[in-house]
Amino acid sequence: MSVIRLENLVKRFGNFTALKTMDLTVADGEFMALLGPSGCGKSTTMNMIAGMERPSGGRILFDGRDMAGVAMGRRGVGFVFQNYAIFTHMSVRQNLDYGLRMTGRPGAEISSRTKAIAEFLQLTGLLDRPAAGLSVNILQRVAIGRSAVMEPAIFLLDEPLSNVDAAFRAVMRTELKQLQREFKQTMVYVTHDQLEAMTMADRIAVMDHGVLQQVGSPLQVYNDPANVFVARFIGAPGMNLLKGRPVETPSGLAVDLGRMGLTPVLPAPLAAAARGANGDVWYGFRPESLHFAPPGTGIAREVSFVERIGARTIVHLGFGEDGFKAVFDRSSGLTLGEVAHLAPEPTSVRLFDAATGVALWGI
Amino acid sequence: MSAAETLHDVAPMSPGKEAARLGFRLTLPAQILVLFISLFPLLMQLYISLTDWSPLAGTSWPQAWAMWNTFANYTDLIGDDRLWAALGRTGFIMAVCVPVEFLLGLGLATLFADDFPGKRVAYSILIMPMMVVPAVAGYMFYMLFQSGGPVNDLLAHLTGAPVTVAWLSSPTLALAAVMVADIWQWTPLMFLILLSGLVGVPEDQMKAATLLGANAWQRFLTIALPRMKAIMVIAVAIRVIECFKIFDTLYIMTGGGPGVATETISVYIYKITTGDLIWGYVAAIALAILVVLSVACLWAMRRLAK
Repeated sequence: MSVIRLENLVKRFGNFTALKTMDLTVADGEFMALLGPSGCGKSTTMNMIAGMERPSGGRILFDGRDMAGVAMGRRGVGFVFQNYAIFTHMSVRQNLDYGLRMTGRPGAEISSRTKAIAEFLQLTGLLDRPAAGLSVNILQRVAIGRSAVMEPAIFLLDEPLSNVDAAFRAVMRTELKQLQREFKQTMVYVTHDQLEAMTMADRIAVMDHGVLQQVGSPLQVYNDPANVFVARFIGAPGMNLLKGRPVETPSGLAVDLGRMGLTPVLPAPLAAAARGANGDVWYGFRPESLHFAPPGTGIAREVSFVERIGARTIVHLGFGEDGFKAVFDRSSGLTLGEVAHLAPEPTSVRLFDAATGVALWGI
Repeated sequence: MSAAETLHDVAPMSPGKEAARLGFRLTLPAQILVLFISLFPLLMQLYISLTDWSPLAGTSWPQAWAMWNTFANYTDLIGDDRLWAALGRTGFIMAVCVPVEFLLGLGLATLFADDFPGKRVAYSILIMPMMVVPAVAGYMFYMLFQSGGPVNDLLAHLTGAPVTVAWLSSPTLALAAVMVADIWQWTPLMFLILLSGLVGVPEDQMKAATLLGANAWQRFLTIALPRMKAIMVIAVAIRVIECFKIFDTLYIMTGGGPGVATETISVYIYKITTGDLIWGYVAAIALAILVVLSVACLWAMRRLAK
């Protein structure tokens, strides 16, 4: 059982700072997803936890024990590589029991544990096949099994599903979650796919440009993004953000959305938060929270593009900075060029300081 | 008869057969050349090896049949102690030099697989012996091992007493000196080939093995070694073949001497070719070695293919 603590963790490569002072605690048995676009520092963080990279500053603690001088082979972490790093000159069995053999476990234990993990990952029939030439989906399982068989207290996965096909990805999401429930490891899962993070993680750490943006449960980061980056990054499509200016109206504080031709009044808690802001704000709302409004009460925009994705429809309204998106279940009935009148659900509205991008909490 | 009918009359040839036939015709000139280069000398050698012909016989080689002796050269060969001694010596040099070169090369390659300061310079220096013309290397070691040479000077400096070891005049020391020169010159080749193999070992797999608890030695045995097997075989094969042919460096250092103390098979053949001029016998030795080596190579390759 292990708690991972990152304290003021910094990583520089020459002049480039890959990670700027990161603080994060991953609780015992927690499934933490490090989520962010390419180059945000999530893999670097992971490599430092595993001991493959040396931090330029700060500390990594496992259960309060500083890992600074501990070599990567002695940290007791399981690691699944993005490209799997399968030992292709060995059989599936030799891959699975590699760690057990190298650490000198007794033969009976090796075979029973290998058998168990092979059964769990449905690899039993493939045990004596050479690993070279197996499909990516199988290699994926072997890579996970090879680490899981060691029953590490900490399990690190570096984008393990990025190379497998969509259908198998869905299967593996479920299996990984099951695996974690069974072995109760502390899991850190690096991904750029928010769907993976949202479906599997207990908490998500959103990162960008080497800076930790927000840590929270999947619903927290979805509902209450800490800043503009998280708001745009989480959700498909991300949150709509319209530039506005807070103005006092007879019915309370409202946001003048300028060219959008609308000055929606803010709900009381948000209004209180917005009063603290100096200057412009971002008026944010989820594409899923839009509903049709009578003409004159909503935002009137021309439909510029309609994407139909199976059951869902994404409607693009307006262009450029004034543009936003709406998501409807099934067809929206809107057609290209038509003017739509839409209004966001007042409870779904979020405000961000336009200068800093930081959320103005008012919930 | 129209052209179409003519074509129809010809029995259709399968495309593969047709392509093979065309290929055969197109490569015919090259094949004749190869036959001339490889087969002709072989047949000539076989012919001469069955005679007592010598350039001093007064006849040109096609008339060698006049001195036909059937298999006398081959039966002589079996009883030729000097030949067997030379073969044994060559084998001994091979048995010492190749493993030493292999282990040194592997050790160096392991060092060079990781980064360290000054790696590029060290690399260049290490590769240099290989670039030296063997005759020059022979001359260098000839000078180094003189009784008044730098090796003795260095030993004198270390021991504090004057050292005048006659390296190249002592039968045992001369053999050692010759082997030192071979190891000096050819370890770099071994190193270079093995390094290329080591660099080809995927780094991720090494990391994965480390994370699974394998120590450096286990990683080498289980990950690096299996992946390097093929390249190791190639490296050893190249050196075994080259070492069997050892001649130039050695000949300049010792001339095969003192006496026959460093006489390898190449030196022996050279001496009886240029000195004794018994070309029929030389041809028999050369052919016998070729046959034995070919069989040995075939056997080794079969073994390795398994």
